[in-house]
Amino acid sequence: MGAHHESSSTAPAILAEVNPTALPRAILVENNRSYSWITEKICGIIEGKTPTWWWVCFALACFVASFTVAGISYLVATGVGVWGHANPVNWAWDIVNFVFWIGIGHAGTLISAILCLLRQKWRTSINRAAEAMTIFAVVCAGIFPVFHVGRVWYAFYLFPIPNSNAIWQNFRSPLEWDVFAVSTYGTVSVLFWYVGLLPDLAILRDRFEAAGQRARSFIYGFFAMGWRGSNRHWSNYEMAYLVLAGISTPLVLSVHTIVSFDFAVSLLPGWHTTIFPPYFVAGAIFSGFGMVLTLMLPLRAVYGLQDLITQYHIDCMCKITLATGTIVGYAYGMEFFIAWYSANPNEGFAFVNRAFGHYAWAYWIMISCNVITPQFFWFKSVRHNTSLVWILSIFVNVGMWFERFVIIVTSLARDFLPSSWGYYSPSIVEIFTFFGTFGVFSVLFLLFIRFLPIMPMAELKAVTPQADVHGGEKH
Amino acid sequence: MKRKFDHSAPSESALTGPRYWRSLDELTATPGFQQHLAREFPEGASTLDGVDRRSFMKLMAASFALGGLGLAGCRRPEKNILPFGKSIEGVIPGLPQYFATAMPLRKSAIPLLAETHQGRPTKLEGNPTYAPHGGASSLLAQASVLDLYDPERATVNTSKGDVLSAAAANDLLAGVGKTYAAVQGAGLAFLAEQSSSPTRARLVDQLRAKFPKAVWSEYEPVSDEPPAAAARAVFGAAVKPIYRFAKAERIVSLDADFLSAESGSLYYAREFAKGRRVTKKEDPMNRLYVAESALTLTGSMADHRLRLASSHIYSFAAALAGKITGDAVYARVAEGLDIKPEWIAECAADLAAHKGTSLVVAGAHQPAAVHAIAYAINASLGNIGRTVDFVEVAADESVSISDLAKAITANSVKTLVVLGGNPAYNAPAELNWPALQKSVGEVIRFGYHSDETSALAGTHLAAAHYLESWGDARTADGVVVPVQPMILPLFGGITEIETLARILGLPKTDGYSLVFDTVTALGGGDSAKTFRRFLHDGLLANSAYPIVSVNLSGRGLAQVLGSVAPAVGALSKANLEVRFVTDHTMDDGRFANNGWLQECPDPITKISWDNAILVSPRLGKELGIEPKGSLIQVARKEEADFTQGAENAHVFTLTVGGRTVRGPVHIQPGLSNYTAVVALGYGRTKSGHVGTGAGFSAYAVRTAQAPAFVTGATLVTTGTRMKLANTQEHWSMEGRDLIREANYSEYKENPDYVREMGIESHAPSNLGKVGEAMTPAQRATEIPRGGSLYETPKFDGVHQWGMSIDLNTCIGCNACVVACQAENNIPIVGKDQVMRGREMHWIRLDRYYSDGKADGRAMADLFGGEPSGNSILPEDPQISLQPIACAQCELAPCEIVCPVNATVHDDEGLNTMAYNRCIGTRYCANNCPYKVRRFNFFDYNLRPLDSLYLGQLAPKGMPELVKMVKNPEVTVRMRGVMEKCTYCVQRIQNGKIQHKVKTAQAGRPSDVVVPDGVIKTACQQVCPVESIVFGNILDPKSEVSVAKAREQDYALLGYLNIRPRTTYLGKLRNPNSKMPDYAALPLSRIEYNNKNHSGDHSSSHGEKPEKPAKQSGGHSSVLPSNHSGGLS
Repeated sequence: MGAHHESSSTAPAILAEVNPTALPRAILVENNRSYSWITEKICGIIEGKTPTWWWVCFALACFVASFTVAGISYLVATGVGVWGHANPVNWAWDIVNFVFWIGIGHAGTLISAILCLLRQKWRTSINRAAEAMTIFAVVCAGIFPVFHVGRVWYAFYLFPIPNSNAIWQNFRSPLEWDVFAVSTYGTVSVLFWYVGLLPDLAILRDRFEAAGQRARSFIYGFFAMGWRGSNRHWSNYEMAYLVLAGISTPLVLSVHTIVSFDFAVSLLPGWHTTIFPPYFVAGAIFSGFGMVLTLMLPLRAVYGLQDLITQYHIDCMCKITLATGTIVGYAYGMEFFIAWYSANPNEGFAFVNRAFGHYAWAYWIMISCNVITPQFFWFKSVRHNTSLVWILSIFVNVGMWFERFVIIVTSLARDFLPSSWGYYSPSIVEIFTFFGTFGVFSVLFLLFIRFLPIMPMAELKAVTPQADVHGGEKH
Repeated sequence: MKRKFDHSAPSESALTGPRYWRSLDELTATPGFQQHLAREFPEGASTLDGVDRRSFMKLMAASFALGGLGLAGCRRPEKNILPFGKSIEGVIPGLPQYFATAMPLRKSAIPLLAETHQGRPTKLEGNPTYAPHGGASSLLAQASVLDLYDPERATVNTSKGDVLSAAAANDLLAGVGKTYAAVQGAGLAFLAEQSSSPTRARLVDQLRAKFPKAVWSEYEPVSDEPPAAAARAVFGAAVKPIYRFAKAERIVSLDADFLSAESGSLYYAREFAKGRRVTKKEDPMNRLYVAESALTLTGSMADHRLRLASSHIYSFAAALAGKITGDAVYARVAEGLDIKPEWIAECAADLAAHKGTSLVVAGAHQPAAVHAIAYAINASLGNIGRTVDFVEVAADESVSISDLAKAITANSVKTLVVLGGNPAYNAPAELNWPALQKSVGEVIRFGYHSDETSALAGTHLAAAHYLESWGDARTADGVVVPVQPMILPLFGGITEIETLARILGLPKTDGYSLVFDTVTALGGGDSAKTFRRFLHDGLLANSAYPIVSVNLSGRGLAQVLGSVAPAVGALSKANLEVRFVTDHTMDDGRFANNGWLQECPDPITKISWDNAILVSPRLGKELGIEPKGSLIQVARKEEADFTQGAENAHVFTLTVGGRTVRGPVHIQPGLSNYTAVVALGYGRTKSGHVGTGAGFSAYAVRTAQAPAFVTGATLVTTGTRMKLANTQEHWSMEGRDLIREANYSEYKENPDYVREMGIESHAPSNLGKVGEAMTPAQRATEIPRGGSLYETPKFDGVHQWGMSIDLNTCIGCNACVVACQAENNIPIVGKDQVMRGREMHWIRLDRYYSDGKADGRAMADLFGGEPSGNSILPEDPQISLQPIACAQCELAPCEIVCPVNATVHDDEGLNTMAYNRCIGTRYCANNCPYKVRRFNFFDYNLRPLDSLYLGQLAPKGMPELVKMVKNPEVTVRMRGVMEKCTYCVQRIQNGKIQHKVKTAQAGRPSDVVVPDGVIKTACQQVCPVESIVFGNILDPKSEVSVAKAREQDYALLGYLNIRPRTTYLGKLRNPNSKMPDYAALPLSRIEYNNKNHSGDHSSSHGEKPEKPAKQSGGHSSVLPSNHSGGLS
């Protein structure tokens, strides 16, 4: 845009009025790409031949996912004892993984909904993939609370289904709230994602129709729900999208708040703390953006999407990661302050024990990854080094997994009665089950990038320079 | 042998009428048919592994058939066992019946009531008619019912590997009798266990008369009674002491574990608790001095505990006697004893100030000389006849196993009859018994299990369990009690007295007749009536050993002292003392195949499924196995390396006198510095699945000369490690207010000391002002909300159940743990699962040590300065014990978090479990601050414990025999379900129903409140010290209300506002302020003060104030004085 300003500055030396220059808007689609370029680029991913690397990755992902399938099958056939749980650590990797995946699932909806409402246009190139990531992360998250129960064949007791005994669920239990929160979040996320897909599915339908691929055209057409791109469609679409964004926005905050209630509502030192809801939400966004970076940077490189996912996008995401990471760091400090200020010796012990007790290694991994790592994002040179950003984003993911581990396991392992103190170690089954969920996630994500448009074409076009009817002129 | 109350005698016609026969074989009585009759089942049926349900039902049916409907001509004499008065005449399906019986063990027995369901015993209780036990029973008695249904017990008689029919076995025994009668028994030898049975004594007398040249020897690997030699030397009579602990205000234990290991310990524990219990300020409290090498349960109750090698106890006793009596005779023995002289002086002074109300007790394993000294001290203090009585007992005329071994070596034994015992496993090592036994021509082994000894015997005769047997026994004080069968022998075993009677060739060889003859002869009067009474009451009135007056013979004493040289040689790493102790659960090894006992953790070490070589922290350091701890020791250092929750113990070789044994070493605070303590009873090589391979056998290094302790041992590391299943990883209370303790002197000034501890003492009351003003009963029903906005449950039942546990009297015997297991069908999970922390016990005993050094300066280790207390292991700790089960919180944190409403409150205040509703989220267990909820991680009830991880591929189903022991009133839980204590809700419901029926029949249907004391929980019923009190807290006069109204009553973690229905009564210690190891506050209290009020170090460094200054907050901070650490 700077170039436009220069060309129009043929004014006299003395200004009639002082008119400060607006900060230049970042360009969201670089190299002045045309609409058709965008369409070709994104649809090309789907229409082109399946690349070999995709098949390799898909096979690998399926193999990894089979670990989860095998682990869960063994668990159901045998008993929860195949995991490392024991008194007093009755929750461990199962719930750690659940919270970890749910946390990752936060960035997608945050990008789609909150940034949509805040009119952050840079969201457009990443929101589709981030939303898909959200949904797949929720799928992975859902595996754990369902299968960690002792009698999974009775897990339907969790849902308010009428039964002959007229027993209701216990609506005081945060786990019950979780059931509603996560299922609502999952449903709304899918709806939001799907509504956003409609115009793009219609484009694919039409292109496959034109190419004579009737079957694919039919499938995309079926899901496009008769989208014709009429003004009426667009107007309804915009309204529906806005409404869903409105619905999703509180959910972004509520889901992790409620997940944090699993701990905050209990009376365990280290769990029983009111700081958890905001701290968990910040942590979730932190981890979510970490995961978006982890996924989008390779995607950008593989498909040559540098024009669509620009350095500006990476900068934005890094800055959000920095902000939320710092909030999380603040929360870690504040926990210690609260524990000290409460004068409750059990609370005090729980936190000193976290930092210096048997699980100190986990605590310091957490601190290094979550508090120190994001601080690198203060530096522009770091933000502009894509490889480094990617590596740091991995650290964020690791750190956030450890945060949940530290909260859940260290608090349980050493609570009120020293006689019951214990030490938890995961079993091989647990490790593989968790490892496998990355495969599950990857399978779903690979299918997504192969069969669905990874960016919202229509929205992208709206933020290209050429979409600006004023050609960047200021009025 | 049926269980009908009254059974008509066979009619005349039945006996003499026309004779019916089923076949010509029967008419002619061919041997084949006789065998067929005796068999009941086709050949080989009883060799099946265990019993399936079908054959069990046949067995039961057969018992009725034999008893009532048998063919005329094959009738046995009528043998009724009489139900105890509590039961109803005849059998009412669904209602249990109770019969009096007794569990014999060595020279004593525990009178019991057996609860039977449709003819199968499932649970044992103490017989309340026997007043000294007051209805209590022991850990071993509780678990013994499981042995009855042990699928791996000996099920058939075998001879050289072939099955021997019952008839053939009888012939064999009769043949032995006939053969040796001709030669007056020359070449015949018996090796039996000790027994208190009058019938056996009678038969042994007959045996001696008939076979005068036969050898009758008795062997017990451990002795639980004082050696008879001591009494004979000092008093010149065959007497044994019976202690009256309730009357003793000052007690000194010389290495005696009278609360747990000695014969009569149930009675002693109960009496000791009477002198210990303080219900109000004016109550006196006894004071216990203990000098011991191992840390025993008795030692854990001590007010002053001196860690002293067992071999030095002799000198210590002499020194004490010298101080008290002033007699020079002791001086020589007392010489060279290396302890603080004030300890002895002040202890002696305290005893001397309590003449007639003091008591000195020596451990049964100590040599006769120590007992002689103890008797002399008691005599000198005027205690005899007051706190100790001597009763006349029969002199023991049996020969020792060593003498028998000599006879075998001399080739003078042709036939050896081994009655019970297991000498191949536990005989003194130097005898090399297995080889010895093999050298005997004919060995007939009578035993319950097919074990190490059976494997080396030509013939094995399957013994009946005591719950299948007719017999009799004597309690420790001599009262004759019946051993009644609750069920016909499951596998047709016979009893010891029947075996003897058959060898003797008596006309009547059945147990019933033998016992009948003995008891009616003892009891006199109308024999039928006497016997009926005997069976009904479960004891024979006025049959206790007579108390006799004794006169101390100074010459005898001097002789004993002169004959035994003192051994106060300095012990060191290179010259260790080894102390062999009877295991709390395995006893001498006879209970090795009992899963309940194997899994029950040792009350002190908390190790289950194994024994270990226990060493003191100092020795541990010298051996280089002291755990390292962390850079910053946040909490106190653990006494062992724990890897993933399992104790990773170093394996050492213990060498004594050239013999070695390998075993894991566990550092045990409180031991004498250079004494290695080893529990016997483990390391069985031929037991069942449960017992084989658990632990190591210390018998390998144990000789007849030194059965209890020996010096000159060394420990050498093997460099390997072994995992132990330790159920309690952390030993320190960490300065928390969990067990609130005070010294007796402080308590008298400040009886509500418990209120000055804990977070509640600093915070506004959870109950609010309104709640504080309420009575306990009001609080229970109205649940004052304090500042809370939340609605609370309605407690509108007519009962509100509550429990009170007196920490002051609890001795930590673990009986409640196994009683609960038996009552509530709690599965065992095996060593592997215990190591993972998945034991299922609903009640557990937390054991803490304190040394007063937890000071909260964790950082000191990192930032220099003195090492903090956190990195030190206590050498001389005080021990605090706390039984913990579900406390039935009124505002239960587990209930709030259960998403499916599987754990809910009932209107009587019980926190109940709906097992069918539970899906197993385990959230409740996480949110339980007491960690008393137990989760079924696997199908522990259905799958074999060694194939839990095979899942669906593992064999499924519980052995039929094991099903028999299950309490039919309690659900057997499946995998994936959470479970926990519900105050024995089945007992509560039974009590309520029975009361309702009773009052309705009496025309008072509105009277539905069950009177206090009618309903007892299993843990309460078994508790020998009456620590546990349960009842209705709405009734202000109920025992539990009275207990809860006491000033020492407090709620564990009460600040959480969970309002547990189980509350605790604070613990008291009664130290002597003049003693060198006196601490003005219990050490745990010092730790509490230091952790919570660490600024308060102003008062008394090094001083020893007479009484702690009562400060406004009650947080006087006193450092412990130096403990005299025993011999160093």
